[in-house]
Amino acid sequence: MDDTVAQEKTTQTAAADDVVIRIEHLKKSFGDNEVLKDISLELHKGENIVVLGRSGQGKSVAIQCVAGLLEPDEGSLKVLDKEVKELSEEELKDLRSKLGFLFQSGALYDSMTVRENLSFPLTRVLKMKDEAEMEKRIKEVLESVGLEEAIDKYPSDLSGGMRKRVGLARTLILRPEIILYDEPTTGLDPITSREISELIVKLQEKYETSSIIITHDMACARIVADRIAVMNDGKFIATGTYDELAKSPDELINNFFK
Amino acid sequence: MEIVGDQVVFTGQFARNIFRDGFEWGEFLRQCFIVGYRSIGLVAITGFIIGFVLTLQTQPTLKDFGAESYVPGMVSISIIREIGPVIIALICAGKIASSIGAELGSMKVTEQIDAMEVSSANPVQYLVVTRILACTLMVPLLTIMADALALLGGWVGVNIQDHVSATLFFRKSFAALEFSDVIPSVVKTFFFGYAIGFVGCYKGYHSSRGTESVGRAANSAVVSASLWIILLDAIAVQITNLIYY
Repeated sequence: MDDTVAQEKTTQTAAADDVVIRIEHLKKSFGDNEVLKDISLELHKGENIVVLGRSGQGKSVAIQCVAGLLEPDEGSLKVLDKEVKELSEEELKDLRSKLGFLFQSGALYDSMTVRENLSFPLTRVLKMKDEAEMEKRIKEVLESVGLEEAIDKYPSDLSGGMRKRVGLARTLILRPEIILYDEPTTGLDPITSREISELIVKLQEKYETSSIIITHDMACARIVADRIAVMNDGKFIATGTYDELAKSPDELINNFFK
Repeated sequence: MEIVGDQVVFTGQFARNIFRDGFEWGEFLRQCFIVGYRSIGLVAITGFIIGFVLTLQTQPTLKDFGAESYVPGMVSISIIREIGPVIIALICAGKIASSIGAELGSMKVTEQIDAMEVSSANPVQYLVVTRILACTLMVPLLTIMADALALLGGWVGVNIQDHVSATLFFRKSFAALEFSDVIPSVVKTFFFGYAIGFVGCYKGYHSSRGTESVGRAANSAVVSASLWIILLDAIAVQITNLIYY
């Protein structure tokens, strides 16, 4: 009996050690508008969680809290075992260097070329000075996203899909442990959406990252998700694999899979 | 009160980041080029015309009183003490504060500032410190250049009706000036430059989401910077009077 309890405890500890993001009872309001009404979620190492939900349900707010761009009102948010709200400015900076964020628009610095966009975090965050080393790293990530030829182009010269790829390259260049994707396929045609989704999986395997992916795109969810969390009215109403949720009798959940 | 609090916090962030490791020299020099070099044409024409018009307007009146010889002194004192610094600062508020407000506002709307923050880079050090310092340094230099061109404009203005040699005109202009005219007017332009950079950055950095807010940030940067310039000028005059007179 004791052995069984000990074994269970060991399994639980192993699972707990495996958690890279732990969100517990998180709440966030903007004035009277309660956006997150008590959400809890765990992201395990090497896992891809897709957060599904209609627009305006608080999905982006949730990942902005994880990235420290917004401060939650209540609850606990641990990233890589560190409570985000308790971190000093320097500690938060250090944590963010292990966290990548792909914005919906790509958020490329439009006054800089692709090369400058990619070297920006290298020189500022990693304090890299060796030009040859930087060039090598830039070319490596551009090759990963299949855009070596765009190195000297400005963001305005790139298509929507290419901008997302460069955004992804800029996220990857610091070799983060966790990547947060805010609607990575929004505004793209189905073929490019599929390419980006497959790229997310490929890069996750190559760089061994863990990811939270916010999307409405079910094709993307099907390709990238290890687990899906469905958000409605500021709460997670269900979590499970794609196939589990697809069979859900709940109409709200089922509507996503129709 | 909230806005005042925000501005105090923003000032604190600016001050802290000036001395933080990794000053952005490249971006600072680029901003000096944008703020300074790219404003030279506008400021030069404005300066020249101020001196030219001021002379044309005052010369006939002084002539009626037989005080025509005071034209160079009057032009230089009014240009150096007041008209040059204030008008050039207002011109710069229109050109530079609006451009900084719109640029940072657009970066905010397109999440570029968030992207910098989330990648652990320091957006205040890269975007704010460099722009405010560039304005603080460049506006005084632009004003000095405009003052010199205004005196030249004054000399051209005098020579439309009479013939006065450049040597005589400039000698009389400088003879009328004292350190108490020059020093306070140069010092206040540093504050004008700071106000232009600060307001532009603050409005842009704190613009809300949506493209409309970019226009609002640019517009409100010009209005606020202009008001700050007038207010700072009034304070500078009071302080100068207390110190020198």
